[in-house]
Amino acid sequence: MAELAAGLQEDRTCDSARRAHKTECDAAGLYVHVPFCRSKCRYCGFYSVPAAGRDTGRLVRALLTELDRHEGAAFRTAYVGGGSPTALPAEQLIGLVRRVRERFGRIEEFTVECNPGQVEPELLEGLREAGVDRLSLGAQSFHAAELERLGRWHSVEEIGHSVAMARQAGFDNLGLDLIFAIPGSTLEDWRYSIEAAIALNIRHISAYSLSFEPGTVFDRWRRAGRLEAVDEELDRTMYEWAVERLERAGLEQYEISNFARRRFECRHNLGYWQNRPFVGIGPGAASYWRGRRREHDPDIERYVAAVEDGLEPPGSVQTASADDAICETAVLNLRMRGGIDLAAFRQRTGHDAMETFAEPIRRHRELGHLDVTSRTIRLTWQALPIADAILCDFSSLD
Amino acid sequence: MLELTGTITARQAKAQILDDMDIERERGITIKASGVTMEYEYDGQTYMLNLIDTPGHVDFHYEVSRALTACEGALLVVDASQGVQAQTVANAYLATESEAEILAVINKVDLSAAEPDRVAEEIEHVLGIRKNECFRISAKSGLGVEELLEAICELLPPPADRRDEPTRALIFDSHYDEYRGVICYIRVFSGSLKLRQKIRLMGEGRTYQITELGKFRPDMRPCDTLGCGEVGYVIANIRSLSDVWVGDTITDDARPAPDALKGYHPPMQMVFSDFYPGNNTDYLRLRDAFDRLALNDASFSFVPQNSPALGFGFRCGFLGLLHMEIIQERLERENDIDVVQTAPTVSYEVLLRDGTVKRIDSPSELPDRSHVEEIREPFVKLELITTSDTIGGIMKLADARRCKLLKSDYLSPTRVMLEYKAPLAEIVYDFYDLIKGISHGYATMDYEFTGFEAGELVKIDILVNGVPVEALSLIVHRSSAELRGRKLIIKLKRSIPRHQFEVPLQVAIGGKIIARETIKAYRKDVTAKLYGGDVTRKMKVLKRQKEGKRRMKSVGNVQIPQEAFMSVLDTSD
Repeated sequence: MAELAAGLQEDRTCDSARRAHKTECDAAGLYVHVPFCRSKCRYCGFYSVPAAGRDTGRLVRALLTELDRHEGAAFRTAYVGGGSPTALPAEQLIGLVRRVRERFGRIEEFTVECNPGQVEPELLEGLREAGVDRLSLGAQSFHAAELERLGRWHSVEEIGHSVAMARQAGFDNLGLDLIFAIPGSTLEDWRYSIEAAIALNIRHISAYSLSFEPGTVFDRWRRAGRLEAVDEELDRTMYEWAVERLERAGLEQYEISNFARRRFECRHNLGYWQNRPFVGIGPGAASYWRGRRREHDPDIERYVAAVEDGLEPPGSVQTASADDAICETAVLNLRMRGGIDLAAFRQRTGHDAMETFAEPIRRHRELGHLDVTSRTIRLTWQALPIADAILCDFSSLD
Repeated sequence: MLELTGTITARQAKAQILDDMDIERERGITIKASGVTMEYEYDGQTYMLNLIDTPGHVDFHYEVSRALTACEGALLVVDASQGVQAQTVANAYLATESEAEILAVINKVDLSAAEPDRVAEEIEHVLGIRKNECFRISAKSGLGVEELLEAICELLPPPADRRDEPTRALIFDSHYDEYRGVICYIRVFSGSLKLRQKIRLMGEGRTYQITELGKFRPDMRPCDTLGCGEVGYVIANIRSLSDVWVGDTITDDARPAPDALKGYHPPMQMVFSDFYPGNNTDYLRLRDAFDRLALNDASFSFVPQNSPALGFGFRCGFLGLLHMEIIQERLERENDIDVVQTAPTVSYEVLLRDGTVKRIDSPSELPDRSHVEEIREPFVKLELITTSDTIGGIMKLADARRCKLLKSDYLSPTRVMLEYKAPLAEIVYDFYDLIKGISHGYATMDYEFTGFEAGELVKIDILVNGVPVEALSLIVHRSSAELRGRKLIIKLKRSIPRHQFEVPLQVAIGGKIIARETIKAYRKDVTAKLYGGDVTRKMKVLKRQKEGKRRMKSVGNVQIPQEAFMSVLDTSD
């Protein structure tokens, strides 16, 4: 009750955040975080721990309990990610998915992240039957040596097998994640992976430049001099080549790192970049709900203990100010190839983006970084590889 | 001494009782002179002893010479384990110049590392004070202190009796107290000062009424009268910081003295550095803080400065590097103001074609080459005392810094005094740290300004993206100009961030480009993954990126961070 009152109080103070919530509430997303992996990959900065020896069933029960607290919310998309959801025993993962479906009947897109080498026909059929309609496969590379370097434990062959199995189980909406600029890689290596992905006739590809996340093995190795980041010029060439090649293959770039055939864009992720509300379930998960950004602490034990005691999972809450909401919306929107839709921006924030960001817009237009029409503001093609240098000027209002 | 004379009790005794600034106790040094009055029974009479504790470091000669002007004698204290230091020699010369009697005192003789005999030899050898006349004491245990006190009564001359002459009191120091206003530290040379007396500051001209006067025992203890020869303090409702200058003479307004006491030579400032408030809104606070510091420290000066690159700030003059460091630290500590400071430079004399001589404190003030006949740089007489096994390293460094050896003198089989003629610019920045390093901390150094001399000096200009940046230029000797210029742009290359375009950095000497580096354009600056959970963190990173851009100074369309301006005088690799 107190929380509700606090929420109402904030709703009154954060006009634009409230506006965003009200108009977009029925397009909210649900994210479920499964913090287990078979083993930790060397580049991965997401919260996960090896599943071996863990009471995964207890965590799943806690996830379901937390989920029940949101009964009645009208989620349109759901996404089960991690970690590796497929590190859970098949019946636990299927049970989790089924419960989400039962609770939230209006879900129109339901994605589960899968790891090649961790899927088999029964699991995939079970997921399909439980209501999953989209799979995101963590392929990362089609080079055995690169997979090895990344600390992945699946083989190149298993990627193809997993795709075949998924199609067999009735999935035609498949996404594939790829990583480029892996230390030691060449442009040829990257081209090979992209061509292999295109050859599989995948409808959605995410192509991420490898980043050195704090706390990862790669980050440690780089600081110790054991590993060298790919030269920036090569990184850029790889990126530009991928954009060009994927578009040629009919996979349009719809966000800085995401490419899809028409109507196969990931709606759940689009929600993030449109700055729509979402609820995150599980340890380490984040939410943006009623104008507040909440983040659960990445700690399985404390999460489970709190949920079992009927308490809020430990974490932090930040109320987004009206200015924060405006800036976040602009920054996130600009990551999409469609950029800021001026009408949608006004509806969501109550502000005119052209007016609010007049100064950075003027400067970056002059520098050829922004394309402005009567309806949209978007990054130009040449601005994409240096997007942060432009987006930072939209990060605050002074 | 304070204990034996009953000025303080054993219980009150703590190390460094007269050093009341935090910074003094932390560094184990004395920066400001401070006074204390003691009484001592000797030979059936009570002697009043006024002691002024002074700094020993090379940068604070001015404080020492001021204190000496107020004194009849000086105790030259030498550490029994460390021996004669370069500043010991310098301070002994100062005392001799001001005609004060010197008593040489070897302290800490009870330490296991003490070598009082060797130290006495050194004193005799260097200062010409006979070794059997040195007092051997332990201030800690009190050993020998009685004898020293007796010698002070016996050997040092009492103040001249000028009780009946018009009042003249020398202000040898002052400080500002938030509640009581300005407190002047004074020595009465003639006549006397009384409570509620109307006084006049002879140099400044204004009159005041004494509201409190007293002695240091060692805390401030009010009394009604300060007589001829006495040392104490005066409070007289002096509110404004700029109304008093140290070195001025106080006289009786009703019966003024005809002449003021001999004041002080204005101190020679040799090192200059620009201070800018870290935050532009602190400009006036910085000004107030400098006002306060300048009041207590006549050897520090500041004038407003406006740099196209760094905004509004002040050009400050210092006696030396330690002095500069201390001002900076006091500024931050006592006023809580963050300052951005440029690398220190020395002052030059420029002879123009029309025959006039101009003093410049910054390379940016150097007139156009076509008007300059010659550039003169300050030279010093440098004294170094070091151990004989480290002499090779020291001489090599001195040689690399254009120092000319004038003489070397073995103080003892293991200790050597080296005397050099050195360009101040070469020793002002990191020289002292380097000789400390070479000698494992043993070497001591002192220097004395000797004059300006013409040299083969050239100005190095740095062009960033084709635009000369004055705040980055420097004056150096021709022999090292090219190397310095090359090193500097390599440093700048490290500190100036990449832009969306290539940024050439060029070194020009005499209008001719001699070196170039290029800061490559950045090619990639984008977050690959940004989903719901990353928003808060990512927004913070972007805000920081924006903030970082804003803190940099635009020169043309290039953003230069403040560290870059600091790298100018850094000669390390």
